[in-house]
Amino acid sequence: MARMKFYCDAERCIECNGCVTACKNENDVPWGVNRRRVVTIKDGEAGERSLSVACMHCSDAPCAAVCPVNCFYTTDDGLVLHDKDICIGCGYCFYACPFGAPQFPEDGAFASRGKMDKCTFCAGGPEEDNSAEERRKYGSNRLAEGKLPLCAEMCATKALLAGDASVISDIYRKRVVNRGASVLDWGVSYQKASLRSSKGMKGKATMEE
Amino acid sequence: MLINHRRVLQLLAALLLLLIAFPAFAEDVASSHKPVTVPNPATDLWRAVNPQQLPPAQAAMFPRGGSQVQGVQSGVLINQQGQSWRHFRMKQLLPTGGYLLAGAMLAVLLFYFIRGKVLIRDGESDKKIERYSVYERMIHWFMAFIFLFLGFSGLILLFGRSLLLPWMGPELFSILASAAKEGHNLFGPLFLLALVLMFLKFVIRNIYQKGDLTWLLKGGGIIGEHDVPSNFFNMGEKTLFWLLIIVGGLIAISGVVLLFPVFEQGRGIMELSHVVHAIAAVIMLTVIIGHIYIGTIGMQGATEGMTSGYCDLNWAKDHHSWWAQRCIDEGKVLPKQQSVDGHTDNPDSASREGVQ
Repeated sequence: MARMKFYCDAERCIECNGCVTACKNENDVPWGVNRRRVVTIKDGEAGERSLSVACMHCSDAPCAAVCPVNCFYTTDDGLVLHDKDICIGCGYCFYACPFGAPQFPEDGAFASRGKMDKCTFCAGGPEEDNSAEERRKYGSNRLAEGKLPLCAEMCATKALLAGDASVISDIYRKRVVNRGASVLDWGVSYQKASLRSSKGMKGKATMEE
Repeated sequence: MLINHRRVLQLLAALLLLLIAFPAFAEDVASSHKPVTVPNPATDLWRAVNPQQLPPAQAAMFPRGGSQVQGVQSGVLINQQGQSWRHFRMKQLLPTGGYLLAGAMLAVLLFYFIRGKVLIRDGESDKKIERYSVYERMIHWFMAFIFLFLGFSGLILLFGRSLLLPWMGPELFSILASAAKEGHNLFGPLFLLALVLMFLKFVIRNIYQKGDLTWLLKGGGIIGEHDVPSNFFNMGEKTLFWLLIIVGGLIAISGVVLLFPVFEQGRGIMELSHVVHAIAAVIMLTVIIGHIYIGTIGMQGATEGMTSGYCDLNWAKDHHSWWAQRCIDEGKVLPKQQSVDGHTDNPDSASREGVQ
């Protein structure tokens, strides 16, 4: 089976927050929760970069490891999903996750945490695919319809890639090779004449023999 | 001959030159066929946003990113303490806490079989002394029930997944764990209240005094033949009190931090609070296992003081001889028959305050 992954290309992300909005709208995300967010580093300085981040669907997911009720499960597509019927809203996944993906709606009395909510890779939950119950609890199940997550599908610059890990890493690898490091390291392409193209290398970085 | 000789020399020189030049030539050939190394810009970026890869001094100064999504730490791309917290809970707290608590229960059991029940040396007498007033007993049992409830509900959340979930099934265990979590949150603040009440009522009698060190050095007399004299509370009870106040205080404070995630506290603070909460709770539970043992099956006459409010005179002589002597001197010893009549109201409870 495929192993689904997100990858955000920082060279392309323009911090438009389209992915955040798309996710929020597609999944009817609870108030106070954003399953995806765009983080900008060095804002306004040289080397500013933005990255869109949500659940990374880790192979060894910390959230699943620390969950006291074991409500997480990994699908055949390698997605880390959770069962809201089992979740007790303790917040341990929120402590353990490196990416701040699991979040809690702040609607309970005495700030009690509701059921945890996180990115599902637009793959819903354990309920029957595209049932009303699944829609209410987890939002959309685009994967069951053969579609990819809306955040990536709507990304205007195609910075956010979603899909089979091998496919998206191929896409990204091609981009990196085609950029040929010229964007980042001027010295490599304009000064050091020793750079030679390798077989099968295409794009801007290719130099004439 | 001369020419030939010269030719040989020239040939040798050429050969020598070739030998020297060859490695350089070989290197040149290799460099032209070296694969192109294209740096991946993302690696530098991920390195820059992961403070774990920075030295601690730099990590502390790590510039936070910004995000349009409003929220606590929404600009932090990688929470560096998450993995350490996971390691603490899964690899340190669970095994260490489990073995410690199981070990404490086993130790108590072994102690019971080896040492046996601590009996009153001269047997029960027909006289009694009032030990705890109704209010004092109420505080104790309030604390005891809160502590046990919080202890058990906390243990369900800590060990339930490995001990209960396999045979309860996810649905049933989820209900239990949910109840444990909600109950823990709901009754948690009452522990703080019980702690304050207990501190105010018992602090004066729990200040360490002369003789406490002797009691400690003699091991409380529990191993030896003779009991060590002490006041109203002995050194062990005083230590339990201060452990409860200090360690219990840490549990309460860290619990409040975890209970109200609305004061903009970040994950780092909450993870630290959880670590403090868990370590302190495991220590306190271990200590309380010993306390429950010695207060019930471990010692004859120990439970009565906390249930009826009166203790046996001979028990008091055994374990709190200085206090017993003062009660005898002040004429506070009552015959046991009156306990049925004079049980409900305790006119002596106020004056007994002075006896320490």
